[in-house]
Amino acid sequence: MDKVAIVGFYQVKPGLDLMMSPYEMLFEATRGALDHAGLKRDDLSTVIGCNNDYYDGKTISNCFKVEAGGAYMKDESKVEMDGAHAVMYGLMRILSGNHKLAMVYGISAPSCFPYESVRILETDPTFDRPINLLNGYTAGGMQMRAYLNAFGLSEEDIAKVAVYNLKNAAKNPLAIPEAQKTNITVDEVLNSEMLSAPLKKLMYPILCDGVTALILAPERQARKITDKPVWITGVGHFNDTYYLGDRDLSSCSSMEKAAEKAYKIAGINNPKSEINVAELFGHTACEDLILAEAAGLADKGKGLSLIDTGKLNPSGGTMAGYTPAANGLTRIVEAVKQIRGEAEGHQISGANKAIASGQVGFCAQNNIVYVLEGGE
Amino acid sequence: MTLNIDEEQDVSVTKGMIRAEFNFWVGIVMDKFYDGLQEKKFIGTKCSKCGKVFLPPRNRCGDCFAKAEDFIDLPETGILKNFTVTTYKISERKTRNVKKDQIVGLVQIDGADSAMVVPVININPEDLKIGMKLKVVWAKNIKGDPNDIAGFEPIGGV
Repeated sequence: MDKVAIVGFYQVKPGLDLMMSPYEMLFEATRGALDHAGLKRDDLSTVIGCNNDYYDGKTISNCFKVEAGGAYMKDESKVEMDGAHAVMYGLMRILSGNHKLAMVYGISAPSCFPYESVRILETDPTFDRPINLLNGYTAGGMQMRAYLNAFGLSEEDIAKVAVYNLKNAAKNPLAIPEAQKTNITVDEVLNSEMLSAPLKKLMYPILCDGVTALILAPERQARKITDKPVWITGVGHFNDTYYLGDRDLSSCSSMEKAAEKAYKIAGINNPKSEINVAELFGHTACEDLILAEAAGLADKGKGLSLIDTGKLNPSGGTMAGYTPAANGLTRIVEAVKQIRGEAEGHQISGANKAIASGQVGFCAQNNIVYVLEGGE
Repeated sequence: MTLNIDEEQDVSVTKGMIRAEFNFWVGIVMDKFYDGLQEKKFIGTKCSKCGKVFLPPRNRCGDCFAKAEDFIDLPETGILKNFTVTTYKISERKTRNVKKDQIVGLVQIDGADSAMVVPVININPEDLKIGMKLKVVWAKNIKGDPNDIAGFEPIGGV
């Protein structure tokens, strides 16, 4: 694969309610990413946004984001999945040879809409929607039960992951204050409200407004723009079936395939030893482990061991603040910061090879994985 | 994770409400499935290549990329593959804690290879066991849609 780098990025500090219009939030992110890379809007040749129409309450919702997204009278398009998928689109545009610099952003403001409710639109309208029992809570509950049963683990094991995530969030200056819990205990997590058994409230991320943007450049431009380019050396993107009843929820086949593909492109043979940091978009503390195992960072059922190494979601992952449409993009930016040695407060020393992932669908139906590397 | 707009906040909020109702073409196999429900029967489909049986039915097998349009009558009994218990109800408007346990099960009908997300009823949550045998309870008023499945209950009590 030709070399493409991430040369600039910016994450708006998320919040339960940013009290800003989406366009004000977006402008802060895109302007911030350009300033970070030392670029002007004129330098951009394409802009790829990620915002879901049903999160926005407006269709073709990118048409309102032209100005703030930096896309006025530019080549522009949108992805309706996760920000990590928009990076794939930007990457392809650059690899086509027709584009030099791509701005990619992901945005949503869930303080303005009932997120769990609109996810009903993700269910099968001919069966699951009329019955209306399949949702983010119940899917997470069944997935956690499948995982615990398959490997003989306990709720306490998942509570440990939640504690780890929330403590990590406390070290991440861009985590929301509500998720920054330095003194959280396993008992507190276990005693938190039951969302959908065995899934507890503190194992589930807090929804918040947020925007993340990054800039992609081909090798020649990247070297001119920054002395710290972070290269995308592999990517894989796979989709499983929608139906939970067809899947083994204790693992994640689409993540396995996506990681395998990304590793193959990047020439990684032993992810356990070669990958120093993984920023994965899990929808619950339990799903973080399932995805990490599927990515080959630990044996199946042994993902908990990763919290001792610290290399799984040093930022706190989505538990540091769940920003729909921007989650995967934030994971990528966090991995980039680690490689650049700029993860203020939560830096993993010596990080030079990372993976970051995005997803959509109940129980992580669809996953996209990037391998990111520093150096030459 | 649902947030409500605080009326006390010094912000202007516009609802911008429209109401648009969608009709979904359920397709040949779901149409047949709905007809089956009308007669208190489960009708699934079978993959023409691997023989996998789907309920709710699907018209194509993803693995074989082959037609799955052979209809197959399935029994009213099955097993509990997975379950969760929640007091939350997520409606089109909001997420509410209704303070009442609802059991959500993944039920695999005997003879099927897939499972359905359905209510499990007439059992205390602490008595639920993965692998237990269940039988459908039909709704009082049958309408020929998925809500004809009032739920699944344990066979022969617990």
